[in-house]
Amino acid sequence: MPDSSGRTHGSAVAVTIAGVAIVSIWEFIGQRWNVLVPEALLHASAVLQCTLIAAVLGVLLGVLVYRSPAGSAIATALTSAILTIPSFALIGLLIPVLGLGVPPTVVALVLYGLLPIVRNTIVGLDGVDPAITDAARGIGMGRAVVLTRVELRLAWPAILAGIRVSTQLLMGIAAIAAYAKGPGLGTEIFSGLVRAGSANATNEALAGTLGVVVLALVVDGIYVIISRLTTSRGIRV
Amino acid sequence: MATDTAFSTSSGSKRTERIRLLVQPAVVVIGVAATLLWAFSRDLDDIEKNNINAESLLTDTWDHLKVSFVVIVLVVVIAVPLGVVLTRSWAKIAAPFFLAIATIGQAAPAIGVLVLFFLWSGWEGLWAAALPIALYSLLPVLRNTIVGLQQVDRTLVEAARGVGMSSPTVLFRIELPLAVPLILAGLRTSLVLAVGTATLAAFVNGGGLGLLIDAGYKLNRITILVVGAVLAMGLALLVDWLGAVAERFLRPRGLR
Repeated sequence: MPDSSGRTHGSAVAVTIAGVAIVSIWEFIGQRWNVLVPEALLHASAVLQCTLIAAVLGVLLGVLVYRSPAGSAIATALTSAILTIPSFALIGLLIPVLGLGVPPTVVALVLYGLLPIVRNTIVGLDGVDPAITDAARGIGMGRAVVLTRVELRLAWPAILAGIRVSTQLLMGIAAIAAYAKGPGLGTEIFSGLVRAGSANATNEALAGTLGVVVLALVVDGIYVIISRLTTSRGIRV
Repeated sequence: MATDTAFSTSSGSKRTERIRLLVQPAVVVIGVAATLLWAFSRDLDDIEKNNINAESLLTDTWDHLKVSFVVIVLVVVIAVPLGVVLTRSWAKIAAPFFLAIATIGQAAPAIGVLVLFFLWSGWEGLWAAALPIALYSLLPVLRNTIVGLQQVDRTLVEAARGVGMSSPTVLFRIELPLAVPLILAGLRTSLVLAVGTATLAAFVNGGGLGLLIDAGYKLNRITILVVGAVLAMGLALLVDWLGAVAERFLRPRGLR
């Protein structure tokens, strides 16, 4: 059967290539450790700082609009429309306005990070039992106190879930921001693309991609711990 | 409205979705028309004329749609049957395994998956872009198919078996129709991911509107960059809108 032998041959070659790549990727990571680690740290720090800005803005926006159905509808419509925009298009569009490097990266990451947080803040605050807020008002708490000590605490698991989704999203978008000379592991991926055909091109792209996957999984694990530690004892499951 | 635990461009509220159903296409038409008017009314130099003319804009848009279309066909053809198999009692054990792989896969950056596939396979063009993008956009449909089938009320399935339906008939006439709303929601998310990631197809010679963005940046011609970016945004918003329309009108009549 020529067909089946051809296939075996093809897969054998593929395995060898994969084998070589796997061996040398570890060597490559070893050699480039001093470059990859700072890039990974920059990647993580860009994503986490932008998530933080998006979280502050998103929760504020959510708190401002959650009492008005029209306001909530407009806020979620706007932020979900932003999320629909291809990140490469938005980053491209920001280059003529903000130049290269950190500014377009930060603006793009913060904008993309908003929707899940705004949406979950509104949903979370909406889901607070009115009987509880009434009771809080009844024992003499003011509006601001009810919001910070009762409503936001009860909505926190939902808000945190939104922040977590945002972080995961931004990990990937930050890689694309390297196109606009943004910091982080995307640099390796684009460098691999530019040098396609040269010895370490695949290793560069692989190191960058794996780095982002590892970062994303580690940070996601940290969120699980944060959610355990910061959820009010009364609603912990 | 439920809380978000995964990427989705649906706002999750009926009221908001109604607004978007009306406003989104209008914004797209106005935005794209205004940008094209602005671009064509400018004094374009030769490089700009080469990139921004009716023919090349149509080619790029068409290439973009081609990649997105192939991706979405691949996603549906792979994810829905896989989801069905993974909810059958004999294959249920494998479901968490596949979901874990798909979740880790989505943690990988789209650009990385695309570039790696390009470097490994040596392919370029439509398929070099469509295959990795399909892999990347698979998760929402797969997850929603599984969840959608799992949440079908067991008593309905048993009743259907009780009136003498065979298990394939139960699947096609009871379970899948009841799961359609969730599958469509996943499809919309996958569509948005596909069209968005297709802007990166230009990096592996797959064409598309990313080509204009890249050309505009490299040749330092802001007009080209802006036209490409606005067209890509318009297309994504339009496809998301189509997804929302499909979500609304394709669900079985009894569930509307």
